[in-house]
Amino acid sequence: MSKVLEKVMDAVDLETFLVCDSEEEAKKLAVQMMKELGFNDVSTVFVQHLGPGARVRVRGYIYKPGARYNWLFNKKD
Amino acid sequence: MTSQKKKVLLAPLDPVHDIGLKMIKRGLDLAGHDTILLPPDYTPEEIVKAAIDNNVDVILISRTLGYRVAEILGSFIDLAEAAGLRERVKIGIGGMAIKPELAAELGFDAGFGPGTTVEEAVAFVEGRRYVKEDKGARKTKKDLTEKHDYAFKNKKIEKLLNAIADEIIEYAKGKTTPGIERAKIREKMFEASDEAELRQLRKEYAAFCDDLVKVYYEKGALKEKTRQLTSEELNALKSYLEKTKSKMKPSLLQHTETNPVVFIQYGTGCPFMDIAHIKTCEAWGADGVVHFDPSWGARTEGFYEGFITHEEDGSVITYENLKLIKDALMPSTLWQVRAHRGLNTPETVFLAGKVGADLTKINIAYGSLGGGTDPERLAVDAVAAIKYAARFKLPFDVVTNEELCGVPAHKAFAGMLIVAMLGLKLGARPILQPLFCYSPEVMISGQMEDNYVDFNAAKILALKSIVNAPIWCGAPIGFLTQTEDRVQSSLSTALHAALASSLEVDGISIASADEAYSGGPISAAARVDTLRATQSAFRFFGHTKILPTEKAEVWARKIVEGIEQTLESVVQNGSFVDSLYKGLLGSREEGAYPGRAGRGTVKNI
Repeated sequence: MSKVLEKVMDAVDLETFLVCDSEEEAKKLAVQMMKELGFNDVSTVFVQHLGPGARVRVRGYIYKPGARYNWLFNKKD
Repeated sequence: MTSQKKKVLLAPLDPVHDIGLKMIKRGLDLAGHDTILLPPDYTPEEIVKAAIDNNVDVILISRTLGYRVAEILGSFIDLAEAAGLRERVKIGIGGMAIKPELAAELGFDAGFGPGTTVEEAVAFVEGRRYVKEDKGARKTKKDLTEKHDYAFKNKKIEKLLNAIADEIIEYAKGKTTPGIERAKIREKMFEASDEAELRQLRKEYAAFCDDLVKVYYEKGALKEKTRQLTSEELNALKSYLEKTKSKMKPSLLQHTETNPVVFIQYGTGCPFMDIAHIKTCEAWGADGVVHFDPSWGARTEGFYEGFITHEEDGSVITYENLKLIKDALMPSTLWQVRAHRGLNTPETVFLAGKVGADLTKINIAYGSLGGGTDPERLAVDAVAAIKYAARFKLPFDVVTNEELCGVPAHKAFAGMLIVAMLGLKLGARPILQPLFCYSPEVMISGQMEDNYVDFNAAKILALKSIVNAPIWCGAPIGFLTQTEDRVQSSLSTALHAALASSLEVDGISIASADEAYSGGPISAAARVDTLRATQSAFRFFGHTKILPTEKAEVWARKIVEGIEQTLESVVQNGSFVDSLYKGLLGSREEGAYPGRAGRGTVKNI
């Protein structure tokens, strides 16, 4: 995990508009995008496809409850 | 006026925008300064000439458009320099296009970006250091019950409630349960004088627990996905909290004195993540926080001990966990520990009182019709729990979530009012908590086909016509109207908050923008979304009222009639507990099923 991502309290949400043909395609693309960005624990929060594409919000969890949160340990760098 | 009178030139170096300068001019005029406001679209040369001609002390320039901003402002400051103004005139620049760094780079004396207050600009003119008012620092802990005397306006309902509550108290006399016994033992544990006594008490406590908890007291074993927090983690939390507390400058959500206090609900499973979310919500203005325990905890006899985290929804109740959270809160934050639906109701209220919670939650009707606990068990437990609430001076809300099962509002309200009256008789201070949402009842019968306003308004009008008691809309407001879209979700929450405020309720519980998302834990960012939306709604409406249609009054009357009929049927039946089994306060057909957890555990002493 990058040092910057360690500072994320719990999750990174990525919101964008994907040019695609269906909601299913949007879901696949959104998850693939997050995986390519290096997120492992990925979940689609919101997807709505209309006309030219889909509004999506996809989430990459950095920490889930019960994990060891690195931001808690006050590392400076 | 405390400072020397100044002559100020206000000039929009912009084709059209000058609203900000007009506001500042008003502030300066009120402070006793002389002001000259130039119209928009003057050139830098014309502004410099006006400054010289009027022999001003201060020039305030504004610029809204970002286009060529650095070039135009640079040209202005060069001209001012060349005209000899820089030595004797203070020049400030402000507006949407301005960043303080740019102003400093170009040689202005001050730069005021978006969000600058009139007071800030006046302070610059007067040469004073501006101290921003910290509204959050004025936050004080609110008492939701203080304005209410519990006087009944509907005497018929009062009489019926009196009869039912007396019957419940009589029913519970001479009865005990494992939950009541554990609460008594837990209290003795706090008073234990040595380790040997504590060991013995733990043994006695374990005898009243389910196997899941018993093995903890026998072997130290916890259920799966659950673990004790390490001392390294606890030390890190201490440092994190010290640092975070020192940085807290909480926002204020309320815009008027009639806006309700705003609660958020937490229960991530981990007390550390809970604390991180709580501090985030406090910073963004939440007035109160509600502790959600795990659903398995409500159906398990007994509590663990220690600092425990687990990887499922709901945060485990132990004294140590609660203490961690209590110590993390701001002094103004209201804190509720729920005890309303499970097998640990008396001990939960005892622990909440012992650790210093402000509120708890108890409801026999919901807990036994929608929460899975046997009606007889919960009735006996609730009487003991309410006594603890009275002893620790903990107001408790009476939630009506059985509506979410499909129970009509009038029946849920009848159950709520019975428990509220029981609370009053036992010396506690109940708070009515109607659902303020899109409940199954109205989905089926259509009262919200046109709008979400009328039926929610009807509920509040009905309750207010019955008794002068505090009302805390829950939980969360707007439930089942929110979608996974965070914008829609936040807006829907904010509109419900505005409606609740318009109806002058005392409190509301709001969800995060993740309310309808079920794919994982909710995020801190999603909590900020709805807090900001609620703040905007309060700002937007101020003292303005939302006007329901005439249907609200009609439905309010019907709800009151329904409550009267339901209470009459309970009185005629003769036993409150039996009425729960029989479905008088919500039937199987309506989606209410008497719970089975703890059945057969009530014992006569």
